[in-house]
Amino acid sequence: MNALSADTSIFRSLAGRLEVRMLGLALLLGAILAVLSPHFLATGNLLNLLDQSVVVGIVAIGMTFVILIGGIDLSVGSIAGLTGVLLGLALQRFSIPVAIALAVLAGAGIGLISGFFIARFGLAAFVVTLGMMAICRSLAYICSGNTSISNLPAGLGNIVFTSVLGVPSNVLTLFVLYALAWCYLNYTKGGRTIYAIGSNREAARTAGLNVLAFSILPYIISGALSAVAITFASAEVMSIDPLAGTGLELDAIAAVVIGGASLFGGRGSIIGTLIGVFIMVMIRNGLNLMNVSPFWQGSAIGSVIIAAVLVERLLSSRSATR
Amino acid sequence: MKAQPPEAAPPGDGTREVASTPILAASGIEKTFGRTRALQGADLKLWAGEVHGLLGANGAGKSTVSKVISGQIRRDAGSILWKGEPIELRTSHEAIRHGITMVMQETSLAPDLTVLENIFLAELGRPGFLSFGSMRKRAGQLLDTLGQREALPLDREVRAISPAQRQLVEIAKALALNSDLIIFDEPTASLSPTEVERLFEVMTKLKRAGHTLVFVSHRLEEVFAITDRVTILREGRTVANSVETSSLTQAEIIRFMVGQELKTIYSAHPEQGPTGLPAVLEVKHLRSAPLVHDVSFMVRRGEIAGLGGLVGAGRSETLEAIFGLRARQGGEIRLFGKPFNPGRPADAVRAGIGLIAEDRRVQGIVPDFSVRENLLLGHLAAHHGFGLSYKKRKAKVDELLTMLDLPAHRLLDANMLNFSGGMQQKVLIARWLLLEPSVLILDEPTKGVDIGTRSSIYSMLREIATKGVAVLVVSSDFEELLGLCQRIVVMSDGLSIADVPSAVLDEEKLTFFAAPRTSMKRNTEVLRELVRDLNGAGFWALIDAERLFCLNAVVSNERTDPGFQSGGTPRFSETRIPKALAARSNDFVREADRNLASLVVPVRSRLGHDMGWVGLILDGAAALPPAEPVRRRIETLFAQITSEGSQLPPTN
Repeated sequence: MNALSADTSIFRSLAGRLEVRMLGLALLLGAILAVLSPHFLATGNLLNLLDQSVVVGIVAIGMTFVILIGGIDLSVGSIAGLTGVLLGLALQRFSIPVAIALAVLAGAGIGLISGFFIARFGLAAFVVTLGMMAICRSLAYICSGNTSISNLPAGLGNIVFTSVLGVPSNVLTLFVLYALAWCYLNYTKGGRTIYAIGSNREAARTAGLNVLAFSILPYIISGALSAVAITFASAEVMSIDPLAGTGLELDAIAAVVIGGASLFGGRGSIIGTLIGVFIMVMIRNGLNLMNVSPFWQGSAIGSVIIAAVLVERLLSSRSATR
Repeated sequence: MKAQPPEAAPPGDGTREVASTPILAASGIEKTFGRTRALQGADLKLWAGEVHGLLGANGAGKSTVSKVISGQIRRDAGSILWKGEPIELRTSHEAIRHGITMVMQETSLAPDLTVLENIFLAELGRPGFLSFGSMRKRAGQLLDTLGQREALPLDREVRAISPAQRQLVEIAKALALNSDLIIFDEPTASLSPTEVERLFEVMTKLKRAGHTLVFVSHRLEEVFAITDRVTILREGRTVANSVETSSLTQAEIIRFMVGQELKTIYSAHPEQGPTGLPAVLEVKHLRSAPLVHDVSFMVRRGEIAGLGGLVGAGRSETLEAIFGLRARQGGEIRLFGKPFNPGRPADAVRAGIGLIAEDRRVQGIVPDFSVRENLLLGHLAAHHGFGLSYKKRKAKVDELLTMLDLPAHRLLDANMLNFSGGMQQKVLIARWLLLEPSVLILDEPTKGVDIGTRSSIYSMLREIATKGVAVLVVSSDFEELLGLCQRIVVMSDGLSIADVPSAVLDEEKLTFFAAPRTSMKRNTEVLRELVRDLNGAGFWALIDAERLFCLNAVVSNERTDPGFQSGGTPRFSETRIPKALAARSNDFVREADRNLASLVVPVRSRLGHDMGWVGLILDGAAALPPAEPVRRRIETLFAQITSEGSQLPPTN
């Protein structure tokens, strides 16, 4: 093989990588926004962008895991709402770390229940998590007495406003979580098993992989991270509302899909999801900067979702043998 | 290329009733998919009213040619003359309008619609109301022309009928469209021998009715059985153009297909296996609803054992039960003598069993993984720990690559589905070899694998066995079982019914053993009635040289037990009635000790097929009935059974 063809094949494989294509798209979008609005590239605005990415970004990690095994989790927004209320109640009695741990455990437990029903009995993920969505939201109202909780301990704000080397701790957490998820998905037995299950469940089972456990795990992660996300959201506004997290599932799914993951499972990457989150936040932010009515945001993001899926389909059908 | 294939006979030289112009003449067809040149100048000439075999190894372009002719794929270059006129087929719809239909390999039926609706699927799309009454009438007529009216329940949903019946629906569908040319793409791939027989009957009827049929296949026996002419493709080119089938030998066809002399696919007939070695895997009275009822067998260290039988006999299900993919309701599995109860495949993998399932795409390949990760998937399952430890296996992977004949750089190929069927299969075998299994189970290991690669898979399996692995192979291809395995366990209707060294077997005997037990019911009743009346024992068997192949045995009087059972293959000397078996005389023959007297009668089906022998054993001390009426009775009873039980395989 000569050097030239080696070069082109490296280029080809780079361009073939989903993340690289998505990064290109994100940079293009950034460039357009920078031209349209002089404020876009201001340091303050960029930090603002990252800050706005934290909540949906953390939830999108769990959603990526779920979508990678070919599932879907519609309950993340409601789990966030419920665990947020539980956090608020726990903070009345326990110390901050214990209260957060309880909320995260509760989220994980809810995910375990959904995951168990889906994986053990082969129920449709859409239906089970739809049911869980309704249950969690209703419990959130019941537990909170349908009022928001605002007498939170002042220390809670520290988890957002402490800065490490100039980076706010919530943004830092976001990146650390993404780094961990990336390592897990690419360099551990569990991560590769999740990909294998999503790509071909039967083959994974026949090869002797633990399909049941690793089909449940993504829902646990998703539930737990919903709780983590709502903790940051609550700390930021220092108030907890049973309505919090409404619509979060759609944002998270949108980020994962824009990030190039296949809803049939097996295909997608955590880096792609992060880029997907940034693209979504950038569109929102850009439209705000340009004084476009916020009612247009849905249309813009919706169009990007459909365009992302279309591009992915066109690219993959060209290389597919089917 | 070492041996030059013989010159192809020009079409129509010295052949019978050949019309001057072919009904279809395709020439110089070319087609490129991406970087693959699927066809590079393929020719095909068909004459009206013939069955034309389209042959070639996998990837030779058989399916592509068929799809071009049936309008599913547009050709890049070349011309097609249909009934003398050039035609341009852009869609399969246009082809159907011209009278060209293809019966697909994987059927294109709507599973939730009834048989009737599927037959007239094309009409469901037309405007206006449907008349189910007239559709029903026409469907009846169509099935009558095929002679299959009873075989197909018109109101049943297609989901609920067998693969053979589905194929019949496809054929009826083609007839409903008044097709002159029907292309059958690998129609026998999922059929049992009896179903193949029935398909051939249908094809013969279609041919007599003036239809032209194209038979795409790589099963050579079938090609000889049904086709008038063959066209052979190799690497997208026609290498034998419309040659009369009768003028070719099997070896010549293989030479055309692979371009070189294949001495034999099977290196040699397998020797008697290692008899003294210990059993690695033992299965006793295994039961797993709904298909596996009572299966017992064992596989020794270093042995290749076969599990044979018809499709639906429960072979794959037996493997799945052993591998923990399927719940068991009874029986015992032992591994190295210890009880083994796998609840899921992971248990089996940990215990050292590997399973290569029948459908590589569904149960084998992880399409989004690189070839390397596909190869390491078994390692991933067996490996304890949090990380991947792929590196730990590097040496072993390199060693396997040499064995596979796969260049190391192809390991990084992103998509294993681009590999040939044979290479995919080799990678899946290697997936297990990486774990150094003690038992390797393969379900239809050469399905969709071309002839050239087959032999390398066979030698790979032999090498694996030589290293001490117990290998168990399931195959519907009896020739493959006989050529590869040292011992064959025959299954029928969920029962293991015979366990025979393959050295004494041939395809005919295997076919008899594998016949569905349901067809044996009448047979057993008849035998039982006979031996009860005469207070003795009876059997139905094939006889070859000095050996008996017992298909059924019934004992009414313990003293007359002939010393073998159903499924047994004793030498004459190993039975209690050697003299009678050797003599096969018209009268009762007494054994040397005068304890037993036996009558052995040849039986034929009503159509005159040889159906083996029926024996009647009576107490030698008692008075014997006259032989002639007993013989008549046996002959008549058996002729009746075999004409009723259309399930019984015919023999030639």
